[in-house]
This record gives sequence, C-alpha cells and structure tokens, in this order.
Amino acid sequence: MFKKLSRREFLQTTAAIGAGLYVSGKAQGADAPAKDVINIALLGAGAQGQVLMDAIIMKRDPAIRFLAVCDIWGVNRDKVQKRLKRYSKSGFRDTAYTDYKEMLDTEKDLDAVIVATPDFWHAEHTVACLEKGLHVYCEKEMSNTIEGAKKMVEAQKASGKQLQIGHQRRSNPRYRYCYDKLLQDAHILGRITTINGQWNRSKDSCQDNILREGMAPIEEAILNKYGFKNMQQFLNWRWYKGLGGGPIVDLGSHQIDIYSWFLGCNPKSVIASGGVDYWKDHEWYDSVMAIYEYETKNGPVRAFYQTLTTNSANGYFECFMGDEGTMLISEASNRGSVYREGWVQEAKWDPWVAKGYIEKAKGTKVAEDKDKEAVLDVRESIPAAEYKLTVELTDPYHQPHLMNFFNAIRGTEKLNCPAQVGYETAVTVLKVNEAVSKATRLDFKEEEYKV
Amino acid sequence: MTNRIILVMTVLAALAFSGCAKKQPVDQQPAAPAESKPAAQAPVAQEPKPAEASSAKADVKLEPIPLVLPKPMFVGTPENLGNIENLEPDIKMSRPQFLAPAGVKNLALNKPVTGSEAEPITGTLSMIVDGDKEATEGSVVELGPFKQWIQVDLGSEHELYAIVFWHFHKTPRVYFDVVVQVSNDAEFITGVTTLFNNDVDNSLGLGVGTDKHYIDKAEGKLVDAKGTKARYVRLYSQGNNQNDYSHYIEVEVFGK
Repeated sequence: MFKKLSRREFLQTTAAIGAGLYVSGKAQGADAPAKDVINIALLGAGAQGQVLMDAIIMKRDPAIRFLAVCDIWGVNRDKVQKRLKRYSKSGFRDTAYTDYKEMLDTEKDLDAVIVATPDFWHAEHTVACLEKGLHVYCEKEMSNTIEGAKKMVEAQKASGKQLQIGHQRRSNPRYRYCYDKLLQDAHILGRITTINGQWNRSKDSCQDNILREGMAPIEEAILNKYGFKNMQQFLNWRWYKGLGGGPIVDLGSHQIDIYSWFLGCNPKSVIASGGVDYWKDHEWYDSVMAIYEYETKNGPVRAFYQTLTTNSANGYFECFMGDEGTMLISEASNRGSVYREGWVQEAKWDPWVAKGYIEKAKGTKVAEDKDKEAVLDVRESIPAAEYKLTVELTDPYHQPHLMNFFNAIRGTEKLNCPAQVGYETAVTVLKVNEAVSKATRLDFKEEEYKV
Repeated sequence: MTNRIILVMTVLAALAFSGCAKKQPVDQQPAAPAESKPAAQAPVAQEPKPAEASSAKADVKLEPIPLVLPKPMFVGTPENLGNIENLEPDIKMSRPQFLAPAGVKNLALNKPVTGSEAEPITGTLSMIVDGDKEATEGSVVELGPFKQWIQVDLGSEHELYAIVFWHFHKTPRVYFDVVVQVSNDAEFITGVTTLFNNDVDNSLGLGVGTDKHYIDKAEGKLVDAKGTKARYVRLYSQGNNQNDYSHYIEVEVFGK
C-alpha cells in the first residue's frame, strides 16, 4: 500500500491550495498522472453512502475526485452536495441529481460509480452503470434477489468493467492476515470443526428512523415511482420484504461471507429459526439464528450465526474453532485473539510468535505442569492460552476495500470481492430467510452458486 | 511510540478502568473465550468526586451546575480509535458533578451565534444554543472541512464557571484541534483567555495545546472557565477521526 498523505500534510496542502500557493491553480486531480485519475459519482447519498464518501476523501488520494451525487431525497442529496462543494478547490464538482438515468446520460467524465442505494435498487443501478461502461462499487447485499444478483454478474461479464461488492472485511488487512498467515500458512487452529459468530445490537440501536423536524419528506409520487409506499418505508427499507432483507442480510452477510472465505468453500445446507418477535410493523425477522453445514477438504464444519435486535451482549465477532486453537476476530480492532488449546504444547506455537504472526497476551495464564494431569480429566479442559493478533486496521473500515476497487481500475490489484464472490455470498445469506419461512433444512445445490 | 503500543496501552487502560465502573456495559463484557484480565500495572481510576470550579472561594456556597444531559445514543459500528495520539482513557464512568457558586445558569441559551460558515452544511447556527442536545440527525449542525469556529455572544460580560459542549455523540468520535476561548473582544484579538486547547501541533495557529483528545459522548465535554469574566465564547475545531467536518449539537455556558 502506498503511503497515505497524513491528515496534517493534507491540511497543509489544502491550505496552500486555498491560498493560491499550490501548483498554479490546478485542481487536485489535475496534478495526478492522467492514467491514475478516477472520476466518480455517488449514487445513494444516505448514511452508508456518506460513510463511503468520507472514507474515500480521507484517503487523500489526489487522483480520486467526486463529480456528482444522486439521491431521491433532498435532505441527503443537499447535504452531500454541500460537502462536495467544500472540496471544489480539490477538483471536486457538486452536481446533484434526483434521477440516476439523467446523471449517467449527463456526466460524460465519469469512470466509476459508488452504488449505496437500498438493496432492491442495486441490480438496476449497477447494470445501468456497467452498460454505460463505468466501473461499479456496489454495497452489499449485492441484491435482495438471486435474479437481481445474477443480472449483475452477467452485466459485469458483458462489460468487462470492475464490479466490487461491499463486503469490506475481504480487504481489511487484519482479516487478510488471519487468512493468509494464521490459516493458510500456519494452520494454527488445526482442523477447523466449528464456527460461531454473531452481531447483537441493543433495542436502542434498532429504533426506526423517523422524519426529524425540519426535514422535508419526499413527495408521494416520487416515493411511489421509486418503489416506496411512504416515508416510513423509505427511511426503514431494511425491514421490508421486497426492499431489503432484515438484520441477517444487513449484518450477517458481512460475517457469513467470512465463514465461506476462510473455509474455502460454500455451505451445503442451512437450518434457521427467526421471527418478528419484538418489533411492530416490521416484515423481516428481528431475531435470527442459523446453522450452516460445510463440507471442507478437511472435513465437515458446522457454523452458527445469530443476530439480535433486542440485546447487545458480546457485540459482534466471528469465532473459528479448531482442534488445536480458536481464533476470535471482529471488525473492531480492540477484539482479536487466538487461543491455544491446553493440550497443545506451547513450543508448537513459538515459531509463530517468533515470526510475528501472534504475540503472547500479557497476563495470560499458561497451563502449569501441575495442571497437565487435567488433560486426562474428560470433565474439564485446561484453559486455553491467549495470543493477540499483530495486525490491525486503524483506517476507516471501508477504506481498504474502496482502495482495492480503485487500484483494480488502475490495474495494480485484483478485486478482493468481485461479482462472482458477492453472488455466492448472496446465495448463501438470502437462503436463511427462506429457511426461516419454510421452517425446514434447505440444501444448496452446486449449480446454485454458478451464473 | 508506535500505534500498536498506543493501542495496547489504551485497551489495557480501558480494561482497568472498566473494572472500577459502577456498571460494565454489556457490550464490553468479555466474549467466549474469555479475554485475559488487565495487566496489574495498568492505571486505576479513582471514584468520581464532585469537582469544584477552580475559582471558587472558601466562603461561597457551591452547588452543582444545573446541567441536564441528553439520552446516550451510540449506534452503528464504532470506528477504531487506536491510532489517535494523546487520547485520554475512556473511563466509562459518569463525570463527577461540577460545583460552582449558587445561582449560575446557562447563559448561552438562545443567544446569538456566529461562525466561520454562516450557512452550515446541515442545520443553522442558532441550533447550537437551542437547548436540544440529542444525538439525532436533526439536532446536529455540520460545518465544512478545515478550520472552523463558532461564537456565542452572551450579550454582556459575565462571570463564567463552566462551558459544556457536545460535538456529536451518535457514535464515539474524537474531534481534532478543539480550542475554547473567551474574550470581551468580538474579534478575539485582545483580551483572549484560552480555557482548553488540544491542538498539539498548533495547526490552528492559536498556540500549542496541551490538553488531551477525548471521546465525545452524551455527557459532553466540560471545561472549567475558572470564573473568567467575558462576553464572548468561541470554540474551534478541525474535523474528527471519521470525517473532515466539524459538528456542534449544543454549547452551554454556565455563569452569572
């Protein structure tokens, strides 16, 4: 990864631009080699779109510049437009659109589009952009339907353009290090047999979004034109069938994607339980528990996942359990450890400590010789010894994945979550809602993962 | 000091402090497998005690300032804070009550506000003193990137004891280059008293700050105004750890 401009350097540079001291009035992008310049538009200016825009801006890449924003809601559209206007001296433009077709027809200088609209719009928006010859970074879930996701894969193949799906953990250096070093190189967990993961959120974090005082609603005719019955649906589309997929798709998709990535295969079956147990007027399940079965090259793996919207206990993490160790990882950098099973000799993990893959956690109780007889006691195991992960992400969570997308456009990297990978994850995750509704175990056929 | 070391120290400190908290938040409880216990040498927080205004005289009756806190609201995925230098530990304890001479009140409520941007990205400057301290989007004023300031005109000179302000508390954030000044000069050229400054590299040009970065939360940031007499209160900032923008939900100035 190239050295990023520090915040201080950026502020000094920008101050120089404002004072007319920078390179003779050139815009930010104009100073970069032409081959590196990437002009982008933001399609969908809600909370997630703003997070992505901020992550891009904070990378301080002088060759990436926003030219336009599109959103049907004036509140978000105007906010992003005003933000972009503040960066006009950096080569940004602040043209705003309500209709994405008008934007694509008008903006002739675009190279790529960041799609952060509600899930049920992803397929149409992404396909339209690809057909215009534009690269696309599309937020997950790739689509709320398998048919939509399939069209996206086909459109990507036909266009030859880059299509990155927003499973950002795939580019997170910590996750990549866990995969490359701890699993592929060190095989530190032994044979992985079980996975446990969750994303639990408090009731308070899951309240419906409401139209705040001073916020103008979208006209009903516009709402209906774009697939929403009313502002309640627009503001809370994730809860509605036909628009989103509920928490298992919003949150679970990120983590279940990691299950398959780390195991190197897709699941063969899923059973699930869920329901609209707590929240009123929601269509998608607020609590979901799912169990996947994988058949890996090393044997079967059972993988549990739950997402709750009434209790935040233990937050969110993915926990991979093998016969020699456990790896607990989370997107939050303050959580991440590997635990050596008590029966595994400390010397076996010393080489990985020496190589810097892991480091012994301070204060960890390592099994004493006197405890070793407990190995023979089947009723209780020796406590696992903790080791800390040695790689962390201190940049915004989405930034590495976005930069992987831009570098793929530049031809210097391969996408970490191309269309086919995003499709397979969509197949894996959308099946959970089907399993809940049918109250039965569902098998995946190999051809389901193919387009 | 490397980021790695800073992170480890911060985590250890946070773990140690959380052990003294009245109630540990459930999302901080160790997950299975259990996290290791904090290192013995990590600092230990003291039980919070009421803080007196530094200007208070022995013969003056003191009482807690009439501060009403908004509802806590951390949602979404908190960004990592491990790379922020000079960050004070997140002690996860309520701030002790701040004592000031009896009769102080919020002098800033509905007073005129000016700023570096007359037209913010979202909201209006008057919202900064409207009494609404909630974290929700309609309560937040957003100013653009780079150096920004807002200024409250208290109407006349007052004796000031505490300035409390909320940048943003929907997610844990750290705002940069936070400077709080008071003066009787509306242009802040003469008679300027700096009460808080964490601009450690003087990027604002107001002087090198020695105060620590902090995590904005529902209890706001309280700065001791030390009984300084002034009419105007000015707050500077320059972006935060998540984006380049400066945000203000509310500013309260307690004095008489």
